Amino acid sequence: MYAYIARRIVFGLLTVIGVSIVIFVVMRVLPGDPLLAVLGPEGLQKLSDADRAKYMADLGLSDPLIVQYLRWMRDVASGTFGTSFFRSESVADMIVRRGPLTAEIALFSVVLSWIVGIPVALISVLRPNSFGDTIARFLSILFLAVPGFWVGMLIILAMLFWFGYRPPLTNIPFWEDPWSNLQIVLPPAIVLGLGQAAYIARMARSSLLEVIREDYVRTARAKGLSGRLVVGLHALPNAMLPVITLSGILMGFVLAGSVPVERAFATPGLGYAMFIAVNERDIFVVQNLVFLYASVFVVLNILIDLTTAWLDPRIRLQ
Amino acid sequence: MSDIALAPPARAPSWEFLTRLVRDKPLGAICGVVCVLFLLCGVFADVLAPYGFNQISPLNRLKPPSWAFPFGTDNLGRDMLSRCIYGARMSVIIGFSAAALATAVSVTIGVLCAWLGGWFDMLVQRFVDAWMSFPELIVLIVVVSVLGPGMGQIIVVLGLALGIAGSRIIRGAVLSVRQTMYVHAAQSIGAKSRRIVWRHLLPNVMAPVIVLFTNRVGTAILAESGLSFLGFGVPPPAPTWGAMLSGSGRAYMYQGPWLALAPGLCLTIVVFAISMFGDALRDLLDPRMRGSR
Repeated sequence: MYAYIARRIVFGLLTVIGVSIVIFVVMRVLPGDPLLAVLGPEGLQKLSDADRAKYMADLGLSDPLIVQYLRWMRDVASGTFGTSFFRSESVADMIVRRGPLTAEIALFSVVLSWIVGIPVALISVLRPNSFGDTIARFLSILFLAVPGFWVGMLIILAMLFWFGYRPPLTNIPFWEDPWSNLQIVLPPAIVLGLGQAAYIARMARSSLLEVIREDYVRTARAKGLSGRLVVGLHALPNAMLPVITLSGILMGFVLAGSVPVERAFATPGLGYAMFIAVNERDIFVVQNLVFLYASVFVVLNILIDLTTAWLDPRIRLQ
Repeated sequence: MSDIALAPPARAPSWEFLTRLVRDKPLGAICGVVCVLFLLCGVFADVLAPYGFNQISPLNRLKPPSWAFPFGTDNLGRDMLSRCIYGARMSVIIGFSAAALATAVSVTIGVLCAWLGGWFDMLVQRFVDAWMSFPELIVLIVVVSVLGPGMGQIIVVLGLALGIAGSRIIRGAVLSVRQTMYVHAAQSIGAKSRRIVWRHLLPNVMAPVIVLFTNRVGTAILAESGLSFLGFGVPPPAPTWGAMLSGSGRAYMYQGPWLALAPGLCLTIVVFAISMFGDALRDLLDPRMRGSR
């Protein structure tokens, strides 16, 4: 098991380094002038070559790429992640301030997706092809099709029209004022969670249907257990592995999906920060945020692999 | 000449398939009709739309839905129905080209990996693994943040991103076809790799390819709308559903809720119909894929 963990972590580290190189190369090599973002098109035209060289040097953009890359990696390792073009705060401050909100959203939405998705799958499996099953499948495809940011807009609209309510817009940490914090976090989490629940329900349904054909389920039936107990005690735990794997992957996708959804709700989280940074073409912030997201995805994948290995000895002992 | 071997099938297989679709999957068939309508809307937007997508009429600003303007008008007095119809055109173009590119990429990678196998397969699959853990929206955002918004880059990035992720499905299908008797037979009479791939492998993985393509159209449309909603999509004045939601839809949703409703409904109905139709196709064409994402 330890060898397995060590192997996964080394592989994960290599992936993070690879991803950092890809991000760096993409941000630097693709056409697009970073000064255009700072000065605007007119400012850029008036810029003399000497000024230009000075600005580029100030921003550290005139050094050889390898030096720039190593400097970036040093910033990442020291935990400052570099600073924004437009704000004096470092990207690390931004992550510390905004990160918890987005993490809360991701966590709540995963929990919600299980609370909704698993029972829906159970209904489908206990009564396959029944009316409930048809409705469940219909709804799960519907939730896959609805764009989250649109549902977000509709929720804001409905709240305002029916209750005259607007969620607080400032960033309030959970430990200071849990109730206001939840008002900010829950709506996006619900929107993203329902979308995920559809995936979870579909995966749990197909995985359960597969497990139900196994011998030990037939044995449990044969010894006289009721249908519900068979599914709940024998089938469900064994059908959870692919669902856990999917859930981890979906958590990564929630981080991405939270960009438009946070924009719809104007949630002051990391997704919104990413939106602002791309809009302002603040390449340092974009570069660092994308790198952070990528690292989170890699860590999530390692955690999924370790969880499945821990739960399923067949994988662990391979 | 033997006239037995050349006898044509009694009925065209496509007709038979359609009757099966209507009989076994009525909902899927209805959704298929919606998909066709959506396609026609996109192709004949100029003919169908009562007004131009950018035709401003200051007297008719923020009018609620009526007979003259079935979906209402926006803050500049532009007819929402016409804008939604032109929006369908954008979605058709982006959805279908990105899906076509994605399918081509998936088939190329999938067939190469499954057919060549060995270290090549191993290496590419590790890369696909890493790639699949990366949401396409983030890749899109990065590329757009560097290159600026535009239709070309959206199609290419979506096509590559979805194509690499989908190659896994094609690879699996090719691997199972590879084991079949007719491929072994072709190999044993000395057929070249190219011939086997074109004559035996590809025709026999058409079912998952078609299903994958349908699926990708929906995914691409949804991803593009998310990007447009952020304002990183096709630049204005092109009317995309996502941009309509983020532009007038967001700014004026209290004065004109229909601005927030119409494009979102179009988006949901179209993507829903495509996924439903795709599911029905999958159940009929390729039961092995049932339950996969």
